[in-house]
Amino acid sequence: MEEKVIVVEDLRREFVLSKDGKRKTALDGISFDVNRGEIFGILGHNNAGKTTLIKILTTLLLPTSGKAEVLGLDVYPRKNEKPIRRRINVVMGGERGLYYRLTARQNMKFFADLYGIPKKTQHELIEDLLELVKLTPAADQRVENFSRGMKQRLHIAKALVNDPEILFLDEPTIGMDPEITRDVIALVRKLAVDGTTILLTTHHMREAEALCDRVAIMASGKIVAMGTLSELKEMAADASIVRITTVMDPYAVTLLMEDMEGISSVKTELVSGRYVTSVGVEDGRAMFDRLNTMFDGFDIRGIEYDDPTLEDAYLHILGGEGDSY
Amino acid sequence: MHDPQWIIPGIVAPFLFTLVMLMIQQDSDGPLVLRAILGGGVLGMWGNTIFKSSESIMYDRRNGTLEPIMAALAGLNDVIIGRSLWNALVGMLNGLLVLVVAESMFDANVRIADPPLFLVCLLLTLLSLAAVGMLFSALFVYTRRGHMLSSMLEYPIYVLSGALVPVMLLPEAARYASFLLAPSWGVDAMNMAADVTYTHSITGGVFINLAMLAILAVSYYFIATALLIKIERDIRRDGTAVRF
Repeated sequence: MEEKVIVVEDLRREFVLSKDGKRKTALDGISFDVNRGEIFGILGHNNAGKTTLIKILTTLLLPTSGKAEVLGLDVYPRKNEKPIRRRINVVMGGERGLYYRLTARQNMKFFADLYGIPKKTQHELIEDLLELVKLTPAADQRVENFSRGMKQRLHIAKALVNDPEILFLDEPTIGMDPEITRDVIALVRKLAVDGTTILLTTHHMREAEALCDRVAIMASGKIVAMGTLSELKEMAADASIVRITTVMDPYAVTLLMEDMEGISSVKTELVSGRYVTSVGVEDGRAMFDRLNTMFDGFDIRGIEYDDPTLEDAYLHILGGEGDSY
Repeated sequence: MHDPQWIIPGIVAPFLFTLVMLMIQQDSDGPLVLRAILGGGVLGMWGNTIFKSSESIMYDRRNGTLEPIMAALAGLNDVIIGRSLWNALVGMLNGLLVLVVAESMFDANVRIADPPLFLVCLLLTLLSLAAVGMLFSALFVYTRRGHMLSSMLEYPIYVLSGALVPVMLLPEAARYASFLLAPSWGVDAMNMAADVTYTHSITGGVFINLAMLAILAVSYYFIATALLIKIERDIRRDGTAVRF
C-alpha cells in the first residue's frame, strides 16, 4: 500500500476582509491525498485557492477547519511546525523572497543556516545545488542583477538545502521564458525521480501535463475534478473537436448541424482560401464517419480528430468558471 | 547595511552629540568629558540597535523574505535574536568610533578608573541593548510602520537610559520608567566603573546594577520570545506576513 504523505480532509480557510466582518472563503472543504514520490498538480485559475492551500500545508497559514496532515503530522498545533518544516520546503512563485543585495551564494548560506546545515557541509552542498540549477557562473553576483528565471532557479536551489521529502512549488515557472520553463520542468522531474514528493500548483496546462502523475482542478476554493491525466482527459472526451477542411463553403450543412444531437458547437473560418469547420462533438470517434459523409459534397481536403488535451479537460470541467489561465 | 540611512542614528547623531558636549566642556578633561563620550557612545549603540531592528524587519516585509524566514526551520525568533545581537555589536563599534574621534580630535584624555570592570559593564550593557532590540523587533513584526516607531523610540529611551544625564537627575516619574530599562542600570554601572567621583548612582554598587541589568535583560528575552510566538501565531491565523 502506498504511503500517503499529505492528507487533506474537508479543509476550509476563510479570510476576514474588513473590520465589519466581511469574509472570503479561500478553501471550501477540499479533500485529497498525495502518495510518497508522486508529483501532484493543483490546477486552477487566479484566486482558486492554490496558494492558500500551499501556505496551510507548509505551516504558514492556519486552517479555519478540517484536517491537513503532512508526513503524518497535523499542521495546526504549534509543536508540529518545526518537525514538519525540517522535512519539507517551499518555492513561492514570483521575484520576491530573496535578499537582493546579497549574492546567490550568500542567499544560499543564509537559508542553509536557517535549516541548521553544519558549516562544514554547507560549502559542498551549496556548490552542488547551484550547479544543479545552473547558477554556478553567477554564484557571486548580487541577486538584484538576476533575470526572473535566474531568481526562480535560485528559489528552487534554496528550497533544496534541507533535502526535503516534500517540495511544494507554487507556480514555479510563472513569467519564465519557454527555455527556462523547460529547464525547470526537467529539474522537477529529476527531483521526483530521486524520490522527492512534489506538490505543484500551476495554471500552465503544459507544465502539469509534462510533470504530474495526478492533478486536482480547483475553482472558487473547491476541487472540482481530480485524477490521473488520462482520467481527466476522459472526462473531456465528450468535448472533442473534429476539424473538417473543405474547398466549398459548408454553410448549408452547418445550419443543419446546429440542432443535431451529439454536437455542441459548430464554427467555420476561412483559412488560406479553405473553409475550416470546427465541430464540437460529444464523442469524436463516433461522429468522425458521420461528419465525413455530411461534408462529402463540399470537396473535403482534410478531416482530423483531436484527442482532448488537459487544457480541453480543464476548460470542459470548469465550464465558465475560469477567468484566465 | 542595505539602507545608508543607518549612518545618521548610528554615527552622525552620536558624533554630533559628543562634539557639542566637548565644545561645551572647554577644558576637555575630567568626568564631564567622560560623560559626553559615554553618552555619545551609548547613543551610537542604541541608535544602531533600534534603527536596524526596525529596518531589517521592514526590509523583510517589503522584500517578501519575512515569509520564507517564517517557513524555515529556525523561524523568526532565532533570526531576531541573531540580528539583535549583531546590531548591538555593530553599535559598540559606533561607540568606539566616538571615543577614537574624541581622543584624536579633541585630545579628550579619557581616564577610566577600573578598565576591566568598565569592559564587563560595557559588554553587559550591550547585551541589554540587544534584549531591548529583540523586544522592539517583536513589535516591528506586528506593525507596518516600524520606521515611525523606531524614530519615536530613539530619543526617549536614550534619555531614560541615563546616557544624557544620570537617571537620578531625571524627574521622579521618568526615573521609574528608567528603572524598568535594563540599559539604565548598565550605563549607571559604566559611570561608576569609569569615574570614582561619580555621585549620582542609582544603587551605589556596580554589581547590584549588573544584577538588575541581568534580571531585566533576561525578562525582556522571555517577554520577546512569548510575544514573537503570539505574533507568529497571529500571522498564521490572519495571513499577514506578505502584507507591507
